[in-house]
Amino acid sequence: MTLVPHVAVTALGADRPGIVAAVTGVLVRHGGNLEDTAMTNLGGHFAMMLVVEVPDSETAEALEASLVEEVGGQGLTVAVRPIVEAPADAPTGTPWAVSLYGADRPGIVHRVAQKLADHGANIVDLSTRVIGPGPEHAYVLLLELSLPVTSDGDRLGIELTALADELGVEIHLRPDDADVL
Amino acid sequence: MIRPVLQLPDHVLATPCESVGELDERALAVAQDLLDTMRGADHSVGVAAPQIGISLRICVVDITGHRKARSCHGEVVLIDPAVVEASGPEVGREGCMSVPDLTGDVARFTAMHVRALGLDGELHDYEVDAFEARAFQHELDHLDGLLFLDRVVADDRVFRRRVYR
Repeated sequence: MTLVPHVAVTALGADRPGIVAAVTGVLVRHGGNLEDTAMTNLGGHFAMMLVVEVPDSETAEALEASLVEEVGGQGLTVAVRPIVEAPADAPTGTPWAVSLYGADRPGIVHRVAQKLADHGANIVDLSTRVIGPGPEHAYVLLLELSLPVTSDGDRLGIELTALADELGVEIHLRPDDADVL
Repeated sequence: MIRPVLQLPDHVLATPCESVGELDERALAVAQDLLDTMRGADHSVGVAAPQIGISLRICVVDITGHRKARSCHGEVVLIDPAVVEASGPEVGREGCMSVPDLTGDVARFTAMHVRALGLDGELHDYEVDAFEARAFQHELDHLDGLLFLDRVVADDRVFRRRVYR
């Protein structure tokens, strides 16, 4: 299999209509083909992360220069990096989901992620939201993980519950498998 | 005969199917192919005619032995099925043989009354719930040219399918 050149494009800026059209317009003109992407509004900023297949003749530096020139003036911070490593295999193991909510405080994501890492869990998706006006706003964390078959989901659940008590939040761990119909 | 299961982006998957009306040899043959394909495919709990390239309102379901099953009618052939009554949406994660690599969270009715012609040409009534209701809706959606991707509860509730064990 020949390795097709890919780049990772990130862009971030104050949200407004037309950002996706502007950024992808530049990519299309450079012969890029979008693959996996995630784009979302984070606290009023629009964040884009894109994996883009590009022609052999294209370099990350040239693409970044074009993006900065064409959309940088619109308040977007853009970066393009070559992807050299082969894509990782799909995560193996058993799928689980974690939902957490409670009063916001620094360190929630780190403490939960550290606990998961201690169990060898691989986080495959994570998003957090601050809800409600400050200073007493609530925090919601949703994540999906892949747990090695050698790890014990029940044990992880017990330890996450203990961590939740310590952090003063609610946390739930549940199996997250899909049914193929 | 076991037929290959079509995958995205085959247009027939997105095309609403024609009603069968009178049960003829062709419809019976399609139903038999659907049964063969469902039995032949690993873990399949249902197949709809557009998945084997035929735009006719026929699908088959068999959720026997599924751990999320409550009602279970065994192997069912649904020809020109219609939903008589439905209640109680619940979100669950689905995949589809025609959509490799992805799964998505879809809200489905938890209980349904479905009426359909059977292989005997008679109308049959099915009261289904839990996983059987979900499987019925997934297959009925195929007959309307809809995939679970058209039903996901939010655009960030689509996932890469995981490799199990």
